[in-house]
Amino acid sequence: MSASPARRGAAHGALVVLAFMSLVPFLFMLLTSFKSNEQFYHSYYAFALPPQWGNYVDAWAQIGGYFFNSITVTLVSVAISLLFASIAAYAFARYRFPGSGALYAGVLLVLLIPGTLTLIPAFVILRDLGLIGTHRALYAVYIADSEVLGIIILKTFFGSVPEELMEAAALDGAGELQTIRHIVTPLARPALLTVAIMTTLSCWNDYLWPLIVLPDTRKWTISLGLVAFRDRYAGMSAWGPLFAGFVIASIPLFILFFAFMRQFVSGLTSGAVKA
Amino acid sequence: MKTRTVTLSSPEALASLLMILPAFAVLALFRYSPAISAIWHSLFSWDGFTSGEFVGMDNYRKLLSDPVMAASSLNIGQYIAIRTTLNLLFPLLAAELIFHLGPGRGQSAYKAIFCVPLVVPLMVVLLMWKFIYDAHDGLLNSLLRLAGLSGVTRDWLGGFDSALYAISGLGFPWVTGIGIAGFGMLLYLAGLQGIPGELFDACVMDGARGMRRFLSLELPFLSRPLLLVALLTIINTLQSFVPVMVLTQGGPGIASMVPGLYLYRNAFGYDHFGYACAIGVLMASVLVALALLYTRLESRAEEAR
Repeated sequence: MSASPARRGAAHGALVVLAFMSLVPFLFMLLTSFKSNEQFYHSYYAFALPPQWGNYVDAWAQIGGYFFNSITVTLVSVAISLLFASIAAYAFARYRFPGSGALYAGVLLVLLIPGTLTLIPAFVILRDLGLIGTHRALYAVYIADSEVLGIIILKTFFGSVPEELMEAAALDGAGELQTIRHIVTPLARPALLTVAIMTTLSCWNDYLWPLIVLPDTRKWTISLGLVAFRDRYAGMSAWGPLFAGFVIASIPLFILFFAFMRQFVSGLTSGAVKA
Repeated sequence: MKTRTVTLSSPEALASLLMILPAFAVLALFRYSPAISAIWHSLFSWDGFTSGEFVGMDNYRKLLSDPVMAASSLNIGQYIAIRTTLNLLFPLLAAELIFHLGPGRGQSAYKAIFCVPLVVPLMVVLLMWKFIYDAHDGLLNSLLRLAGLSGVTRDWLGGFDSALYAISGLGFPWVTGIGIAGFGMLLYLAGLQGIPGELFDACVMDGARGMRRFLSLELPFLSRPLLLVALLTIINTLQSFVPVMVLTQGGPGIASMVPGLYLYRNAFGYDHFGYACAIGVLMASVLVALALLYTRLESRAEEAR
């Protein structure tokens, strides 16, 4: 498997070029976010001094509200979805009773229902429930969207908790709830984190549902707010503050990525499986 | 943990049902019933408010002769073909390069760098590409002018000939795909790392390198991840019309219109909810057929191993 130094050098060369080109949009975004309009046109490719920190102040004034709305929507959706998914997954993993297999098949079936099919009737249901214009509409669709994979991932995980540990806990006189709290939950932390990150990604990135259910701009989430912000600022070619806004919108996911790289990657890959 | 079999009347079964209930209530309200409702209402002329008028298969008949639907279908076919090719080839190339560096030699650094485009919020990625394609200030035209190719510069997203290709070409150099099917490189790398080392040693003995080693040894081990990425890319490209919506609104004219966006327009633009449901059912049938085809191919790939 060992390649010759010359071949390895060529591979490194090719990879560095590919990596650099992959990052170009984001490097350009970061670079430009510190430029005034004049600096943008004068030194398009180069770093320009002095850096315009004011762009970030300007951008924050435009999107700060959307940013916090997205934080709230994401946290609430992740918390409820994780709760619903984990208790259901525990029940599926722990007990078999007449009909439980059919119920689980019903969960798997949801993976075959595409979001474009349910989009319109789900909107009508949300409207009939009087949820249009509220973040509760988003919680509802995000929970429905993410709890299914949560149940599947967590059921598999709970099933792999060693039986000996559960028995030992029972011998020590621990009841079922105590066993869940002291044995199962700590062991399941990586799996719970994977599901949480998967849900966070889809909530933070979603554009369509807020567009449909939130007419009031004060309720808007970050994806929706960024589009409006872009339309205003690109119109006057104010790329500096606009890209500063893009950088701000990217910060939460980057923090998660560097804090939990392994779970982030597994959250990313497992999130793709749903139709 | 072991699964315990209990009777339906036991307290454990009752507790389990209660634990499953919240998740199911949400699914019933926002997955099962909308799916059934979409199929049912595709048979109606419906504005989303009244109960609508039953029209049988009229919506589907109209779909077949709708020029916008025909153009959208052609567009999505092209779009899917290009994106699937890109999503299969370039991540595979990068995975091959990284894998043959050998363990330790910067492998994880490259992996992390190629993950970055997936960590950036989707909307930021889309809006950055909208900027890159911008006619006046965009990076692409600027680079072309720098290279002395001013004649090639254009309004990439605004041109009838270029809009669809510009959207399809998003994410250059395509090592990391856009959105949710973007991690192909990680899957291929994991596939390559799962090949037993003795097989590579045998390759060295046989003098098989490069393309021969790839075709005879590596490709069979990669058939499953390749199949998965292909399916996910097709499903995702077929369904997610937000990139088109943000970059071109389907325009100019209907030059980059896709079925998903047409569905959205029909419902929320023209109040043709019944017609939109019919488009949804048509798209869902294609998706389910693809998923079934995938399970067939997948089990065959498994047998071939």
